[in-house]
Amino acid sequence: MRPLARLVLAALALAAAAGRAPAAEELNLFAWSEYVPQEVLDGFTKETGIRVNYETYASNEEMLAKLMSGAASYDLIQPSEYTVEALRKEDRLLKLDHAKLPNLKNIGPEYRGLPHDPGLDYSVPYMQGTVGIVVNTEKVKEPIAGYADVFQPKHKNRIVVLDDPLEIVTWAMATRGLGPDEVTRENLAKVRPVLEQWLPLVKVYDSDSPKTALLNGDVDLGVVWSGEAAILINEDAKRFRYVLPKEGTHRFIDNLAVPKGAKHVEAAHRFVDYVLRPEVSVKISKEFPYTNPNLEARKLLSPQERANPASYPPGDPKLQTFRDIGPVAVQVDKLVTDVKAKSGT
Amino acid sequence: MHAETTTALLPAGPARTRPGPMGWLLLGPLLFWVVAFVVAPAAIMLVYSFARRGTLGGVVFEFTLDNYLAVADPTYLQIVLRSLWYAGITTALCLAAGYPVAYVIGRSDERRRSLLLMLVMVPFWTSFLIRTYAWVTILKSQGLVNSLLLGAGIVSEPLALLYTPGAVVLGLTYTFLPFMILPIYSSVEKLDGALIEAALDLGAGPLRAFARVIVPLTSPGIAAGVLLVFVPALGLYAVNDILGGGKVDMIGNVIENQFKGNARNWPFGAALGTVLLVGFGLAYWLVSRRQRPAG
Repeated sequence: MRPLARLVLAALALAAAAGRAPAAEELNLFAWSEYVPQEVLDGFTKETGIRVNYETYASNEEMLAKLMSGAASYDLIQPSEYTVEALRKEDRLLKLDHAKLPNLKNIGPEYRGLPHDPGLDYSVPYMQGTVGIVVNTEKVKEPIAGYADVFQPKHKNRIVVLDDPLEIVTWAMATRGLGPDEVTRENLAKVRPVLEQWLPLVKVYDSDSPKTALLNGDVDLGVVWSGEAAILINEDAKRFRYVLPKEGTHRFIDNLAVPKGAKHVEAAHRFVDYVLRPEVSVKISKEFPYTNPNLEARKLLSPQERANPASYPPGDPKLQTFRDIGPVAVQVDKLVTDVKAKSGT
Repeated sequence: MHAETTTALLPAGPARTRPGPMGWLLLGPLLFWVVAFVVAPAAIMLVYSFARRGTLGGVVFEFTLDNYLAVADPTYLQIVLRSLWYAGITTALCLAAGYPVAYVIGRSDERRRSLLLMLVMVPFWTSFLIRTYAWVTILKSQGLVNSLLLGAGIVSEPLALLYTPGAVVLGLTYTFLPFMILPIYSSVEKLDGALIEAALDLGAGPLRAFARVIVPLTSPGIAAGVLLVFVPALGLYAVNDILGGGKVDMIGNVIENQFKGNARNWPFGAALGTVLLVGFGLAYWLVSRRQRPAG
């Protein structure tokens, strides 16, 4: 055959093949980095033929910034509870069709009736976590029960905390008996002296991977996400301990939600329901050991995983969640920036 | 000779000839680039800086000067001064380390020169973030440096190298060194050896020849290198987060937080950005005025 004829034939064959294949469906997932295992995405694509584009972010605010810019269209986002509340106030979320989510029944009762979305009409809990204290027991011998034990002058330059002003402020508020939903200008003024004592002691601010500094031995104490702590404990249960601060802390619930304007609503529902299957959900737990709100999935965990105190705190404490605090967030940022600048080296 | 290299980066007075139609055509892509990616974003930033904060981020278009009043807070002034200080030290270190390297490369023979130039560029083959994380491995308390020092018995306790201001300056210097070497190299390469010999023949010592002949002749490269290092060093916040532990904010961190942090205060971030841009513009103007040849 002449080369040209061969080329034309090949092109025709290609066109025919393309014509036969159904238009590949997609799902644009915009979620936290290191939170959705590749295995889960692949499994979903294999079963449904829907290709998942997984784009990641490192904070709720980063997600909002991209969502609001309208530059990209997302079908499924993963906001924390206070961001669900903020998005709902602005009517930015699509109401979910529960008929398409038969596996929603697996979500435990303690994740229902919460202020951000009482009926789970706009959001489905993905993972829950707490914020607590990690202690390297090889280096810190005295008992650590709360924030006050961590932020001691003798621990100067041995502490990692989340790089998150709102988190830091609510810890300081807890030592004054204030809950995470009481962030006001007056209360911020009250905790300023606390922060002025605490922040000069901190060595590292890191929200992305606070476990790294602990694992490397650069710090001995941390106030971090429970999932990070759980990984440390899985790594070396003798060396690391997780403590829920006695002054109080909060839990966060990350959810799947469909933003208004989503182009693949059907695919989004299918993905949510897929993730809600116990055998899928447990894979997420195994890779990212937060608290799984899916009670059926929890049953599939190994006894060791169930016993990890960072994933499943003993006594199952009832903790509050964050609320949308509105414009006072500007003051929170200013306060922490101020105190950091003044305590800088 | 001065102006020849200067024009690449610094405007050298009024244009001597206006471009013809063909010239405009050739300039087209550059003009498009400048308008689309420099002028338009800066204009958006300027507009946002006079708007109010939107609830979920974004802005509400109501004119206000509040964002600029907020910038005038002493805290931000302090942070800007610290950033200037860090960027200044970084630039000085890059110059001190980069000048001799650039000189040696520029004066070496053709074959060795391309090899040495390639070695300067090799780091760009790896992502900047990965290279910065590599420094974490080197500097951490059980890292390369501390293991060596402990093993050699020079110290008995690991030194706190990581998460210090020194680590930040080291990381910045490491990142920007090639940006100092390359422009100085291009000046050194054009340096006429006869002029140095003339200086030596006329009785100047090596130091004097360096200070009075070599440095002035390579000053366009130095100026370009200083600008290429100083300006980005001022704004780069990732090194501060990774190697400094985010302990003290640089101005880049503060701006980042207005978009990706709790505050969701885009207009304020835009105002900070505008103030920095105006500051850069002023500095640039001053440098280019001093660079302009007298004739």
